[in-house]
Amino acid sequence: MSNHAHLRKDSDVILRVEDLVVEFKVPGNKVVNAVSQVSFDVKEGETLAVVGESGCGKTTLGKALLQIQKPKSGTVRFSNNELTALSKKDLREARTSIQMIFQDPISSLDPRMTVRQIVEEPLWIWSKGDENERLEKVKSLLNNVGLDPELVLDRKSYEFSGGQCQRISIARSLALEPKMLICDEPVSALDVSIQAQILNLLNDMKERYGLTLIFISHDLSVVKAISTRIMVMYLGKVCEIGTTESIYSKPAHHYTAALISSVPVPDPTYKTERTPITGEPPSPVDPPSGCRFRTRCPAATELCATEEPMLREVSDGQFVACHYPRA
Amino acid sequence: MRKLWSTLNLPSKISVLWVLLVFFFVVTGNFLPLLDPTEYDPDASGVGLFSPGHFLGTDINGYDLLSNVINGARISILIALVSVGIGGLIGSAIGIGSAYVRGKVDLVVNLFFNILLSIPNLVLGLALVAILATSVDPSIPIDPNRRVFIIIFSLTVVIIPILGRIARGATLSWVNREFIVAARSMGMKDRHIIFKHIVPNVLPAIYAVIFLAIGVVIVAEGALSLLGVGIIDGVSWGAMIGRVAGDFTYAPQSMYVPVIVLALTVIAFNQIGDHLRSQLDSREGKI
Amino acid sequence: MSSILKLENLKVRFATHRGQLEAVRGVDLEVEAGTSIGIVGESGSGKTVMSRAAMGLLTGSNVTREGRITFDGKVLSDMSRDEVRNEFGTGMAMIFQDPMTALNPVRRIGSQLQESLRVRLGMSRKEAKARSIELLTLVRIPEPARMLRKFPSQLSGGMRQRIMIAIAISCNPKLLFADEPTTALDVTVQAQILELLTDLRQELNMTMVLVTHDLGVVAGNTDYVAVMYAGEIVEQAPTTELFANMKMPYTEALFKSIPNINMKAGSRLPVIEGRLPDPTDRPPGCGFAPRCNYAQDKCFTDHPELEVAKDGHLYRCWFPLGDSIQRKVS
Repeated sequence: MSNHAHLRKDSDVILRVEDLVVEFKVPGNKVVNAVSQVSFDVKEGETLAVVGESGCGKTTLGKALLQIQKPKSGTVRFSNNELTALSKKDLREARTSIQMIFQDPISSLDPRMTVRQIVEEPLWIWSKGDENERLEKVKSLLNNVGLDPELVLDRKSYEFSGGQCQRISIARSLALEPKMLICDEPVSALDVSIQAQILNLLNDMKERYGLTLIFISHDLSVVKAISTRIMVMYLGKVCEIGTTESIYSKPAHHYTAALISSVPVPDPTYKTERTPITGEPPSPVDPPSGCRFRTRCPAATELCATEEPMLREVSDGQFVACHYPRA
Repeated sequence: MRKLWSTLNLPSKISVLWVLLVFFFVVTGNFLPLLDPTEYDPDASGVGLFSPGHFLGTDINGYDLLSNVINGARISILIALVSVGIGGLIGSAIGIGSAYVRGKVDLVVNLFFNILLSIPNLVLGLALVAILATSVDPSIPIDPNRRVFIIIFSLTVVIIPILGRIARGATLSWVNREFIVAARSMGMKDRHIIFKHIVPNVLPAIYAVIFLAIGVVIVAEGALSLLGVGIIDGVSWGAMIGRVAGDFTYAPQSMYVPVIVLALTVIAFNQIGDHLRSQLDSREGKI
Repeated sequence: MSSILKLENLKVRFATHRGQLEAVRGVDLEVEAGTSIGIVGESGSGKTVMSRAAMGLLTGSNVTREGRITFDGKVLSDMSRDEVRNEFGTGMAMIFQDPMTALNPVRRIGSQLQESLRVRLGMSRKEAKARSIELLTLVRIPEPARMLRKFPSQLSGGMRQRIMIAIAISCNPKLLFADEPTTALDVTVQAQILELLTDLRQELNMTMVLVTHDLGVVAGNTDYVAVMYAGEIVEQAPTTELFANMKMPYTEALFKSIPNINMKAGSRLPVIEGRLPDPTDRPPGCGFAPRCNYAQDKCFTDHPELEVAKDGHLYRCWFPLGDSIQRKVS
């Protein structure tokens, strides 16, 4: 069963994931299919947003890319390394070119360490430079993320606000000059007025360091500001993948359309056309047969229950896994 | 130091002073101008408090209680510190290690801790001492030093699961924090993660419990003596209690002097432990 | 129209180790019966403290509350705690951000739902059960009879929030406080809950105070909006008027800085630099002045009062937007 129609030529992609499966055991000897046969690729310099609601597997996917969560099967090819096949030692080394930023800015930083120690840590691990060189590097990183090194170096993380902690996290993640940054809901714990600052910072850092971003989020308005491509997930499956423009202007999957129309718009005169989607995502322990979205889908038929839809192209570069895509 | 002192409330201040006093006697007890704790005064057996020459009186055999209670601190505190120290070290190492690797190892360790914890402290200590300190030939008594060693060993076994469980729980709460995941994604080695990130964060929880554990061990030492398997010949609070266990009605001070001193010491350690724990909780709350 | 809730010069102070923290400093607010008002602000703006104080829920020994609170013709601020508690349920009710912590995890949904029905309304066991099934139907829970037997941990976040709403409306309150009711929920569920709240409000003729950080949530679900900043209301107007004609630079900056689904993809967002003023050490002038693009000397020295413009539009700014005053743009 191949579901690879949307994958692009090998030569220009930096990350290529094929048929990735991640499972968890849960109490009662059941297995959760957190990520189920997911394939996608990312080109160098792209920002791919992975979008979905809680339980769709987007966070697990992020961790599985880094092999922090071991996938059950499938391949993760980054640059020229097959990450799933690397030895522990090689994996340690390979991981340095993919770094991660997390949702909870405070729990991302060790409360006992000073900002200097936190940002220096990756350099310390890999014995990069002597102490002076490392300090200089830490200072320039802090400067780049908009923090004044003289003011912050010797303070501990709990003295900072969420937005500042997120800046420190970003500085740390850039210390090893990675090629790719996986951002797991990096702004959803922040105040609205701070979100913009961090989003802009990520965009700036992307340019300065030539990064490729994977941006995991549930918030479609945030995603619109930062992504170039979007992959929508539901219960561990890919529903739709395409450029940001195409996803927002003509969502082909009914779930994507529902997500977009559910976002509250800060304009009282704006009338959203309610997509008739009700209920909540079913438990990933026992997902529906066929198309996993069919239990909430307004267009579902018999076919959707019996046959799982494959990803197919609906317009240039836009792929959808649906038997009855929206026109 | 002064700053630290000012954060204490009154009961904690008193407790710290009391513990310092006890430690002072542990160190200096041998050199103070006191009566020999092992010599009895045949002219003053069972005299009450404030008798001339015997400030806290004597027991039924004429042993000076003041001298005994001060010199007894040495063995009692030694037993407590050594068994909590070793037990704490082993227990924390097992707890942190098993929580870090998880999986089957953790399952087995947790089961082992639960089994040990399901046996009351005293019963476990009693059983171990009784098994290890029973000589094959009843006519040859066990060497007193060996007896102390056996008591320390048994109480260490009692402490391991107590501290181990705390260390395991604390580790579990830290090991999933994002900064640990971040450290792994930066290529940090497991042993560095444990020593740089986990141990420093878990230690405060362990400190707090160590003080409580010291209290547990001091009580256990006294209780073992009362049950007749503790230190009988030596000079310790437990020994004082054990010696008069049968007939303290004749000289009640011989029982309540060591019991009060022991109780105050345990309360002081508990108070300090509680204080440390509440400090810890409030800091956690701030984060 | 009559007002159901009236706050006059409400102040709330907390005693902290760093000194007096003035979380709410002189809020005047009138909520008309049958309307819904959104209280918008960032964390630290005092929006949650204000709504809890208005309900008489802040009773800690380190809290001082000043000002007059009138609810439904009764002066709440003069009543004893027991008398205030009597108003809960039948007078006012509240729903919270995290329905898991607001529900008792070891009691079944049914017994939690029926408790206030039996205690407050004196219903019999049978009546209470019938009514609770009715309530669950009202909040659109499928198979309500089965739901009564469940524990909170067996439910999803959205279901729990529906249960909380059912409990809140069980005694027909006149006023419903909703404190970030959808922040913890998924977007598609959030949309359903907001729709439900709006419908229930109309069906039951309830007044609603919706506390949120999300201007989007406010836009579609309220009649009035009050924007809070640093413990004060800085702008207040009918919702359509506010969004069409923002007078306070803070409101505008906040509005522009939030990612909006209708903006062009990949567009760079304007940001508000700096942070909220230290609540233990308020600056003398306008609290927003140091972060304001239009601030002038006067803004740093003189504290602006709440001005009234036409259409009941209130604002707290020396140089409101839309006026033809020459601005010095920094």
